[in-house]
Amino acid sequence: MEIRARQEKGMASLEVEGELDFSNVELLQREIQRLPEEVVEVDLQGLQFIDSSGVGMLLSQARIFYKQGRTLRIVRIPSHIQEDLEVIGFFRVLEVLETKPNA
Amino acid sequence: MREVVEEKGKILRGYGLEGSGCSLPAGQEGGDFFEFISCNEGSVFIVIGDVMGKGFQAARQMETIRQLARECIRINPHPLEVVRRLNKLGGYELRKCGSFATLCLLCYDGITGRLTCVNAGHHPPLLLSNGQVRVGQCWGVAIGLLEDYLGSGAEEFFLADGDAVVLYTDGLVEACGPGEQRYGQERLKRVVRLQNGADAECMKENILADLDTFTRGISQKDDVTLVVMKVTRKAGDMGGD
Repeated sequence: MEIRARQEKGMASLEVEGELDFSNVELLQREIQRLPEEVVEVDLQGLQFIDSSGVGMLLSQARIFYKQGRTLRIVRIPSHIQEDLEVIGFFRVLEVLETKPNA
Repeated sequence: MREVVEEKGKILRGYGLEGSGCSLPAGQEGGDFFEFISCNEGSVFIVIGDVMGKGFQAARQMETIRQLARECIRINPHPLEVVRRLNKLGGYELRKCGSFATLCLLCYDGITGRLTCVNAGHHPPLLLSNGQVRVGQCWGVAIGLLEDYLGSGAEEFFLADGDAVVLYTDGLVEACGPGEQRYGQERLKRVVRLQNGADAECMKENILADLDTFTRGISQKDDVTLVVMKVTRKAGDMGGD
């Protein structure tokens, strides 16, 4: 997995390429956690595979962000990964957390 | 109910059903599981799930969820209540570790032929009836992701003699072939459609053989769990188990 970070005023973006799984999930988690910006985007356009550990980490980080009054956006999700995330209920969880961060 | 545990999996005989299931691990110990759980004289639960992650922690959490599912069924066997309670009890344990579990719970009433399905972030079941394959429409958020279970509620089907139900984990449809393409739900539906008339064990073996043909022996990233149930008698005809 490769991660490229871009930071602008008040916003940061992490472009993720390759495979995000059990073996490297902490790497992306650390990158998300070290960013101080109000809004952080995780761009998954180059992602080929994500396992449940990757999904769990992204939702845990989104929960932490919402509790802090910040926003973690997961953007440009490849269609096959989008389908997997929909089955788990990923987007419904993000919707709920946006309004009720402690849900 | 007779549940036979074999080297390669489990076989269920009872309630006018025959069931056959197995888990194929991919490398490190994973969090896939399935269970046949007797409820009362007339009905049986079939549960399939996948706990996040790999290794010791996933295996331990899987065992917790498996035990809690049995406990929740014992307390109140209404399928939607089972999942709601499981999300409360098991979800709390999972959330503490930043984890979650997908789960699909079926309850089959052998007297009426009614199959009730509740989904928590899992692939819905496939139903084979008269050579046609239907995909369950029930959806729900995986166990542990929200404090209160959120989903479409219980979906019901009425099964007739010869109908079959297929449950599987994501490792099956996400299995990759040599060109990185996925096995996918469409191929699974096609192979299930061809199983009209086969018994549950034979259906399971044929699906796994097709998966093997597709993947050409390439090692996979995720466990594959597959459970097939087939109605062997008409609803109401329950004698002889």
